[in-house]
Amino acid sequence: MDSTAARAKPLTVAIRTLRSSRWAQWGVVGGLLLAAAIFPLTYSGYWIRLLSGMFMYAALASSLNIMVGYTGYADFGNVVFFGVGAYTTAILMLKVGAPLPLAVLAGGALAALYAMLLGLPILRLRGHYFAIATIGVQEATRELVVNATSLTGGGAGLTLPIPDLTPQQFYRLIYYLMLGAMVLVVTVSGLIRRSRFGYGLRAIKADADAAEISGINTTWYKVAAWMTSAALSGIVGGIWAYWYSYIQPPDAFSGITGVKYFIMTLLGGAGTLVGPVVGAFVLELISETVWSRFITLHLGVLGTIIVLVVLFMPRGLVPMLREGFKPKAWWKEFQENWI
Amino acid sequence: MDALLQIRGATRYFGGLAAVKDVTVDVEEGEIFGIIGPNGAGKTTLLNLISGLLSLSSGDIFFRGQSLKGKRPHQICRLGIARTFQVVKPFQGMTVRENVAIGALFGASHGSAAGTRQALQAADEILEFVGLGGKANYAVSDITLADRKRVELARALAMRPTLLLLDEVMAGLTPKEVGDMMDLVQEVNRRGVTILVIEHVMRAIMGISHRILVLHHGQAISLGTPEAVCTDEKVIAAYLGERYAKGRFVRNEGAAEEEKTVC
Amino acid sequence: MSPQVIVNGLLLGGLYAAVGVGFSLVWGVMNVINITHGSFLMLGAYVSYWLFRLYHVDPFLSLPAVMLLMFGLGYLLQRYIVNAVVKTGVFMTLIITYGMNLFFVNLALLLWKGDYRSVTPEYAGTGLQIGGLIIPYIRLVAAVLAVVLTLLLQLFLSRTRVGNAILATALNKNAAQLVGIPIGRIYAITYGIGAALAGAAGALMSAIYVITPFMGEPFIGKAFVVACLGGLGTATGAILGGVVLGLAETIGGAIVGPSYQEAISFIVLVLILIVRPEGIIGRRFFAEVK
Repeated sequence: MDSTAARAKPLTVAIRTLRSSRWAQWGVVGGLLLAAAIFPLTYSGYWIRLLSGMFMYAALASSLNIMVGYTGYADFGNVVFFGVGAYTTAILMLKVGAPLPLAVLAGGALAALYAMLLGLPILRLRGHYFAIATIGVQEATRELVVNATSLTGGGAGLTLPIPDLTPQQFYRLIYYLMLGAMVLVVTVSGLIRRSRFGYGLRAIKADADAAEISGINTTWYKVAAWMTSAALSGIVGGIWAYWYSYIQPPDAFSGITGVKYFIMTLLGGAGTLVGPVVGAFVLELISETVWSRFITLHLGVLGTIIVLVVLFMPRGLVPMLREGFKPKAWWKEFQENWI
Repeated sequence: MDALLQIRGATRYFGGLAAVKDVTVDVEEGEIFGIIGPNGAGKTTLLNLISGLLSLSSGDIFFRGQSLKGKRPHQICRLGIARTFQVVKPFQGMTVRENVAIGALFGASHGSAAGTRQALQAADEILEFVGLGGKANYAVSDITLADRKRVELARALAMRPTLLLLDEVMAGLTPKEVGDMMDLVQEVNRRGVTILVIEHVMRAIMGISHRILVLHHGQAISLGTPEAVCTDEKVIAAYLGERYAKGRFVRNEGAAEEEKTVC
Repeated sequence: MSPQVIVNGLLLGGLYAAVGVGFSLVWGVMNVINITHGSFLMLGAYVSYWLFRLYHVDPFLSLPAVMLLMFGLGYLLQRYIVNAVVKTGVFMTLIITYGMNLFFVNLALLLWKGDYRSVTPEYAGTGLQIGGLIIPYIRLVAAVLAVVLTLLLQLFLSRTRVGNAILATALNKNAAQLVGIPIGRIYAITYGIGAALAGAAGALMSAIYVITPFMGEPFIGKAFVVACLGGLGTATGAILGGVVLGLAETIGGAIVGPSYQEAISFIVLVLILIVRPEGIIGRRFFAEVK
């Protein structure tokens, strides 16, 4: 008994420090970021692209978290902002010759504007009606893009100008852009969380009426949250467009992508800061493993994961890790929920 | 000087039913103004009309001379009116301290300048005042009903209101808890907050109110001091019943236990 | 705009009613937004296809078999999976049904590949000709059967004990439990009925649309619109909603161009939600009482 206790101790001590000490947490984050920054200098190829994708999804999931996790609005169609950002960037670079940074920021700005225009009528809707409306907006926007052939190239898509870089340089650039995007979104999300704005959003999520009589202008707060989420998703979309160089409506406004990062947010823990990032990495990793080995099972595995997560881990990984896994309490709650 | 809150012909219909009909009354600054009436009399509706959760079908309500008609709840809050709910509405998923901090962050006094740290500090002070100092870090779902009512009161106080609307804040409390709450409400009033209180717990509302309005079927049927209202035949007929027909009453203000009789 | 457009819209509308009624029922009774509805439709089409291919069963005659099979599948899914999360809210059920949908689409892909299939009975391509109007037999029969099924559902709900139990559960779950209605089983039955109706719609469509594992996806959106337009949980509302959507698509398509047809249905959806979420008939059902 003594030897096992002695061996177990360092690990439990490590986990306990991590859970409680701010310094330890920041240390780990800093270390990871440093490793991420150095990574492309030593490795290349497959892993660079894989990680770029993971950063992208982490950024998207975190931006969605602002609506879903903080404000409590199920924005199922968030990918519409990704698509708007992608197309804005593509059109500006292709037709006006805008430089990448400007085009990407414009993508974010246009997405935010779209959210503002739609937000005023749609954010009045209750829970699930809002969710469906966002899907309707997403699908309608995609169809409109398909039809606006002169501007968007319609179903044939758009090809962005090819940059004057070697493949290795190009993929490294994308890697850093996506890493930067992820850091940006998570930082914004973290700042919101601690700010007056964030408190207001959480109050709205808990009880909109009570929030309103507490002095919160719920309409504007919801619109502002949606605009923020949209802008961030739009920026990521712009970078994605540059990455893939050739974009079409079904990829830019992909329902599957949208669902994927929605699930990532849930899987990791909606409402937490790092949950979406964790969820993104975990799901992408599983996705990649399945895709590379069992390509024909891809959808089915994703679907099964979704079912399992909802059934057994509704609050997500991060809260579960934080509080520790308590099987008895969990089983009891599960049984109580079963009709 | 004009009254703090002037209700003029306030009326609210739900379909064909008038929940509140043509209520006209003034609430003076500094008083504790009670509203009583049987269930369905329109008390909460009136509160909802004042706080902006419902719109007036006709009539108007003035606060410090300013019309509240058409204003949204958060605007009315900023003017200095705070309220609690009959069925408490705490912000789930947040701690007690955070709940109260919301009031400090968004209420009348601070407007848009307050930072979260100051708000959290202000929350702590107010929690001390209402007696919840030790429970600041508890999740709001983990505390008793009585404590949740205090959290809601604390949240309203954090907004630094001029006028505080309390909707059945005593409901569900034990007699001791009722006494504590009465003391708390009177202390708040002593510090300069005008209070409009709806109650069913007669001992409480009769004990602390300076004046009482009686509503019945949405209409005001009596207005006056607790003693006057107790002896008003209309009120007795509508609501109070035999036991209070005699109307002997002593105010709950430092009097010895034996001397207190409830109207 | 020719009368043919109106006729097309009505025929399409009948079909959309069948697509939407099961979805609307499940949503209205249990507050479950069932994305798997698309898979049930697709599976119904495939069952119909295989019965036609292997045993030469006319697609319309395969309806009973399809509905029975789909009912069974739906019942099991609800009883053992969805019932575990219904209480946690509409988002979770939405997501879980989305996951199940992916699973079935993948299953269909594995079993039957992505090839395009269709059911072509002898009378395909023929139709009635009245005046200058063309009314294809298949579409006519499909629309009529769709309306008949919807009305049968209405009768079932109002006249049978089980149907009444379903309605009671929809109106007040707690009260229903208090009078002894087994909610879990009622939910399973309701979901099974929804699946059966979706499967029936799929069977009706097997001779009209191309059959692929992905065929159900666009119809989920239509089902949303039909349910919202008509008001949740009402069968007659589904007919109304279906017809309105069908007409909106054909008329809108005639005015703006056929490629906008999809966009129109989604724009209609969003507008309905903004303007009048209770739908045209506007009866408040379970999902409303919150």
